[in-house]
Amino acid sequence: MLLEILLFSIFGICVGCITGLIPGLHINTLIPLIMGMTFLFASPYYLTVFIVSLTVTWIFISYIPSIFLGAPQEDTSLAVLPGHRLLLEGRGYEAIKLTIIGGMGSLIVTLILISIFSSSFSYFYDMLKPYIQYVIAIVVLFMIFSEKKLKKILFAAFIILLSGFFGIITLGSSMVPSDNIFFPILTGMFGLSTIIISMNEKSKIPTQKEDSNLQVSKVNLLKSILLGSVAGTLIGFLPSIGVSQAATIVSYLGRIGETRSFLATLSGIRVSHEVVSLLSLYFIQTPRSGASIAIQKVLPELTFYDVLLMIGVICFASGIAVLMTMFLGKRIPKFLAKLNYKYLSLTVIIFMLIMVFLMTGVYGLLIVFTSTSIGLLCANLGIKRSHCMGVLLIPSILFFSGLNGVVLSVLGI
Amino acid sequence: MERKNILIFWFLFTSFLGLILIYIAAINLQPINIGISQITSELIGRMVLTSGKISQKTPNPSGHLFLVISDDKSSIQVPIFVSLMNDLKKNNVTENDFKVNKQISVNGLVGEYKGQLQIVPRKVSDIKLK
Repeated sequence: MLLEILLFSIFGICVGCITGLIPGLHINTLIPLIMGMTFLFASPYYLTVFIVSLTVTWIFISYIPSIFLGAPQEDTSLAVLPGHRLLLEGRGYEAIKLTIIGGMGSLIVTLILISIFSSSFSYFYDMLKPYIQYVIAIVVLFMIFSEKKLKKILFAAFIILLSGFFGIITLGSSMVPSDNIFFPILTGMFGLSTIIISMNEKSKIPTQKEDSNLQVSKVNLLKSILLGSVAGTLIGFLPSIGVSQAATIVSYLGRIGETRSFLATLSGIRVSHEVVSLLSLYFIQTPRSGASIAIQKVLPELTFYDVLLMIGVICFASGIAVLMTMFLGKRIPKFLAKLNYKYLSLTVIIFMLIMVFLMTGVYGLLIVFTSTSIGLLCANLGIKRSHCMGVLLIPSILFFSGLNGVVLSVLGI
Repeated sequence: MERKNILIFWFLFTSFLGLILIYIAAINLQPINIGISQITSELIGRMVLTSGKISQKTPNPSGHLFLVISDDKSSIQVPIFVSLMNDLKKNNVTENDFKVNKQISVNGLVGEYKGQLQIVPRKVSDIKLK
């Protein structure tokens, strides 16, 4: 059985490497495809091992298209801007290394946190649940008042409300299946808008420096890992609050304004969130991610030993995924640097639009047109692009305060 | 006018244009009218309109109401969450109005919970008791 588990884990890592490199392809899009091929797996344990390995590998590898091509996922959307900034400074490889260190550090801290607090998770979960809308509302206020000048505060409030309205009508209608709805939204707001702006500024991807020196202090890195782990663990149990919202809260509360620390924190939150989401099946009997929903289907009653198996696979897959990310992170930019940035950007834009069309149809193209416009408007107003996250935050506030139905009724959707 | 201001006005215009078009599409989009037995996992994330009779009713201490609706061939779960129950009460529809064997039509998002398909209504007009 051990050999089979290893083989399926390696199989998951390989698939994770390939799919992680495809811009815009989210793990939640892949999982239903895999669940349609369960006949390939002789035992539910093999399928579980495959899904866990694939998910963990995908998390690390997916930073490569996010940073080098500006192609975001729901969870990496906030990484696109700082990652792209470092790329244009010739520090794309450092950006990848930061995500690896943040992610691996957070994995270790999260496993320690889980072993200490596992018995209290259920209590925390029940305690925090009724107050989520207030937490999100505070985050929104933090975001608005993080701008320094009155004019920019007003612009920030406007963009959050505009994005929020956009989120209410797109998430509230069934124009695009809910599984894929974030793809056109985030691709436009954070991906296409970034590429369009940088196309006007740069004619090619600058040569990337390969030195291993991280231009961030060890204290800041440690702080990022710890904050990322705690935030990721908390949101792993809470509904609706995702990686992006947690990163926004942490970056304000933890005063993580610096690009490098932010990348490490974001990666830490992602890894921690996914690990806790997988293990939440055991601790609170509730799945919190696409992968954990799939595992719940194949292994409805998780035992303590199943959890140990999953932790073992997470550690094994993370180790290999990190090596693969470093290997690919060094080679891919060398290849990209030889290309004309404008042509490359145009190719990526066309590729993303084709992906949006294939996954979400004509309505997806309309959504991506609008989200790109909002992203470009935000950039030209000179305020932080993270205000566009109003697209998730405002609908979440309405949902948790029980006002979603009323607002949809008023809008006639 | 400065180039930056032109760009701001242009993107403001395209943002509003996109929002208006999406809004028009959203309010005119009809849910898929479908029988309960035709609802499969392929429709997860889609809005459907279906009808049947209430075959099971399970109130929850938190205020949610869990229904199972059935037709001749099949059945599906319909969770009505507490926020919607509160909105229904404001429209004089209470838990007692959901009687077993009563006909109901539900408009909602197809989802899956613990391996079971369900339709999740979101607003008062999504539920029609006959």
